[in-house]
Amino acid sequence: MSHVLVVDDDPVIADLVAFRLGRLGLEVSVESDGEAGLAAARQLRPDLVVLDWMMPRMNGLEVCAALRSDADPALARTPVLLLTAKAQEPDLERGFAAGATDFVAKPFSTRELISRVTAALPPGSVSA
Amino acid sequence: MTVPLGGVLLAGAAVTALIIVLLVAVATVHLVRGRRASRDERRKRELMPLVHAVLDDDPDDGIPLSDVLGAPADLDDIVLDLLPQLRGSDRETLRRLLAERGVVSKAVADLSARTPWRRGRAVSLLGSAAGTHHVAGMAALLADRSLEVRCAAARALGKAGDPGAVAHLLHAVAGERALPTGVVGMALLDLGTTALPMLRDALTGEHGASRALVAELLGVHGDPSAAPALEDLVRDAREDRGVRRTAAAALGRIGSPTSTEPLVSALTNSTDPRLQRTAAEALGRIGDPTATIPLLAGLADDDVTVRAACADALAALGAEGRASLEQVAAGPGAAAADAQAALDELDGPVRRPQPAGVA
Repeated sequence: MSHVLVVDDDPVIADLVAFRLGRLGLEVSVESDGEAGLAAARQLRPDLVVLDWMMPRMNGLEVCAALRSDADPALARTPVLLLTAKAQEPDLERGFAAGATDFVAKPFSTRELISRVTAALPPGSVSA
Repeated sequence: MTVPLGGVLLAGAAVTALIIVLLVAVATVHLVRGRRASRDERRKRELMPLVHAVLDDDPDDGIPLSDVLGAPADLDDIVLDLLPQLRGSDRETLRRLLAERGVVSKAVADLSARTPWRRGRAVSLLGSAAGTHHVAGMAALLADRSLEVRCAAARALGKAGDPGAVAHLLHAVAGERALPTGVVGMALLDLGTTALPMLRDALTGEHGASRALVAELLGVHGDPSAAPALEDLVRDAREDRGVRRTAAAALGRIGSPTSTEPLVSALTNSTDPRLQRTAAEALGRIGDPTATIPLLAGLADDDVTVRAACADALAALGAEGRASLEQVAAGPGAAAADAQAALDELDGPVRRPQPAGVA
């Protein structure tokens, strides 16, 4: 079973994303700030991180950059999907420069999110 | 004069008691707020599965609809918080839920409430929750006696996303109870590109303030279909100066080469230095080299801001404009200084000082 780490300081959004991904047969963990998210990623070694940008303590870009420069090559390669209201052209450039794999712009559609999560995970990870 | 010791002690005790009472009051308020916050958080947690069930793609596998419809009012707050963060079918599903729970019909009734805060809250809620329904009811509040309610109505119409609101919003820019153009402009931008045909039609509207706002918004959208109508506004010498200036600036943003002719005409023939300056700036943005000669002529204008704008525009035209500037800079007179300043700005980060009174 693939494991997804959701990091978002809005508990309503985090719960909704976790619920929708859980319904796909994925194992989902949730953290509410960047620092805790990074620690969880190092401990849990998820297959995918869904990351908010604007968060307390450590923002999503900092988490993304820290993951990409992690000593563990497997963790450094973990796909990161930024779920954020900051999705203008310069934001996309900054996000991809920090190592994001993909973006989902808020306001978002849970169906689009599911499609992008499915695409970012190895084939067969998601139950139809 | 001596103060009795008993009086001092009594006053000290009274002050101490007052401080203690205040501290206890503050602590109590904090405690109550904390408990309320954690209670609200707990309620949210309890009700979230209902929201999940509503948004679930497999409704047969979830919570019965009756449970969702009969849930406490806190559910509405969660849905209203969530609505602006979702789009597409998720947003429509939540809007339908609010309608089925009677939230929308209650808000419609509250549009005519006696207190402004209830009217304002109702129209804001409808903007988020009602989609393109109830636009007429929301638009009626654009003429409300309370400015806050009128602003709330404009924002709500923008959020609702019905391009049919364009005429209502533009009407609210003028008149006795006019709304700030910034509020109306943001609402019109919120409507997105679906509003563009209505905005283009409104360029021939009755009020100068709304024509100027529409011209600005079409420029922000960079709408090439609006260029011919904007060019007509720039050409029309009887048109309000502010509208002509805004139209010229919009043409610069749109960047159509067909706009060079009316902008050159405004630069050359207008007696309004602000229109001339805006026209020169727009020509620089468009970058059409056929504007080189009129811009060079503008370097001889009496108004320093026009000369500076022409020099900057020439600099923006590329190699041909730069060569012209270098030629002028090598010559005598005020135009040489403006040309040199534009060249300096091209070559380095030095900013030219603005003349007094120029925004």
